Amino acid sequence: MMDRVFGNFGQILRVDLDGDRVRAERQPLPESVYRECIGGVGLGAWLLLRFAPAGVDPLAPAAPILYVFSPLLATPLTTTAKFALVCKSPLTGRICDGLSSSRFALAAKRLGVDAVVIRGALGQLSTLHLDEDPLRCRVVPCPELAGLSAAAVSDMFQRTGVASHVSAIGPAGEALVRYATVSNDGRHAGRGGAGAVLGAKKIKAITVRGEAVAGVADPAAVRARARDLAARSQGVSTDKYRRLGTASNLETFDRLRILPSRNFQAAAIGSARAKRLAPAGLASAGEHTRAGCAGCTIGCDHRYGGQRLEYETQFALGPLCGVDDPARLLAAARACDELGLDTISAGGSLAFAMECCERGLLDWPLRFGDDLVPWLARIARRDGPGDLLAEGTRRAAEVIGGGSAAFACHVKGLELPGYEPRAMQTLALGLCVASRGADHNRSGAYQADLRPGVDRYHADPARAPALVIETEDHATLLDSLILCKFLRGAVPEPWREGAELLRMVTGLAYDEADLRRAVATIAGLRHAFNLREGWTLAEDQLPGRFHDEPVRDADAAVDAPPIDRASLAAQVLAYHRARGRGPDGEATDPS
Amino acid sequence: MVTVELYGLPRLRAGAERCELAPGRLRELLAALAAALPGLVPDILRDGGLSEHALLAVDGRDLLSDPEAQVPDGAVLVLISAQAGG
Repeated sequence: MMDRVFGNFGQILRVDLDGDRVRAERQPLPESVYRECIGGVGLGAWLLLRFAPAGVDPLAPAAPILYVFSPLLATPLTTTAKFALVCKSPLTGRICDGLSSSRFALAAKRLGVDAVVIRGALGQLSTLHLDEDPLRCRVVPCPELAGLSAAAVSDMFQRTGVASHVSAIGPAGEALVRYATVSNDGRHAGRGGAGAVLGAKKIKAITVRGEAVAGVADPAAVRARARDLAARSQGVSTDKYRRLGTASNLETFDRLRILPSRNFQAAAIGSARAKRLAPAGLASAGEHTRAGCAGCTIGCDHRYGGQRLEYETQFALGPLCGVDDPARLLAAARACDELGLDTISAGGSLAFAMECCERGLLDWPLRFGDDLVPWLARIARRDGPGDLLAEGTRRAAEVIGGGSAAFACHVKGLELPGYEPRAMQTLALGLCVASRGADHNRSGAYQADLRPGVDRYHADPARAPALVIETEDHATLLDSLILCKFLRGAVPEPWREGAELLRMVTGLAYDEADLRRAVATIAGLRHAFNLREGWTLAEDQLPGRFHDEPVRDADAAVDAPPIDRASLAAQVLAYHRARGRGPDGEATDPS
Repeated sequence: MVTVELYGLPRLRAGAERCELAPGRLRELLAALAAALPGLVPDILRDGGLSEHALLAVDGRDLLSDPEAQVPDGAVLVLISAQAGG
């Protein structure tokens, strides 16, 4: 066990479930792990590689799910009230490392550990009560909570004094939908299906109780930096998030013709439709209010009629499914939150099915623009056609056949986010190589495509891999510290400032080079996990649509050519070479 | 004339969705834009150019940054926030 180091506790909590029993014990971690992996998704990758048996079924009892905290969590530094939720994804079979925010994160760190590793499974639907004292951890059967939303469980626990802060799953998690979410405080760890992993363990909810405080090494410096960072977080670099919300992206992306619509058949919906789904249009369907996560000075949480809406949800349940009615969009977003469905994968799966119906491959009564709510309910309960859609687009395409794999828009099984890769070709590479599949949070390569001097329609093979690595590493740094990505514009030198923050919080002598080494290690750990679980280079590709069909605008006119298959494949190889891997992408140091 | 369409933060700062300007070099256009929509200064337009918080795309495609670039009559420029995250 490490000596007293602030910010972390130097130990994890191992929780083993078996039938109606729980056994919990603390396990120390060496200091070197913190130096090599920082915390958050970095520490999560290290732990997953060690606690997940090779080749484990993600929904089997032996598969672990990890709640991982970070050194900056529970300090006064803005946007740090977050935790990482890490598991083997039941959707992709690869690493899944989501982040979620707010008060549950703060409460969970008071358990006095840096991560909770949960393995095994219970015999019936139960609540897992975690305690700072491992001997007081317990499970309580809760069959009466079956079918309730995570928010309803949280409200009930608060009303009845059971717990103030709860992490829970909705009906989709119970039904093992492969893109079910885990929710707390109205926020969601969305991508990859961690909710199904909890559901397979029969855990409906997790509560936490503890009084431990990790403290900080230099309280005065942390307080001063917290004030400075809070002031910067109020500046112009976060104004878009604070004043407009990410929902303002939609109209902009439509104008740039990078807004995926109708299952990526077009990259725009036209100005009039975009305005209907933009913030002003949404406000006509529901009163606009704004909120924020605990301990955040940005406050990016924009709601319409009480429903929180981010761009990715707006795109996936709107244009991607041909929906242009703001009330219909907000109803679908509300349904996903209540059912516990990842909005991107839910929208992607429905859009794929809509196109299958349009092409006559399915005879379901489902068309672009339809009301999504009844279909979302079927997915969450695996009812009828919903059972197939609950598997995600990759598995659905394997069942449907008829060439549908070419327009099943996923990478590694994870449905694509709301950026048209044919018109953002650095991003296209980022989506191919991202460790958890097509993902905009682990690869921010869209930022590279929107820089002067970058031709977003033709990725430069000599530059694109380095640009992707730069944005991946930046994201990994923020997700390991953990700092919100919406703060990135206010932290122009993240490596220098990240090292400063760690020094003043932990007392350890981090410098910029240490952080760069740590982030390279984390990239290697993620890859090592995927490689061990069966990854090959063949996974790092986009579906045929993006190579065989041009980008079309809102009027179906050709706007840009498809992505050159050979060029992208060469960039994938160059990316892995630049990461220090062998010719087949094999790890040179599996750590 | 050259049309400048504003989205996101530029629209919020300017309080306008579009602006018509005489054609010319980019730096001349940006100066005219700053005069026409003073709310864009300094967060969007600064020191005669674009700030780091904004991007300008010709018809929503190629990003424009060379201040000496000639913007022809009839061109449509799209002024957006530099932060694209969602």
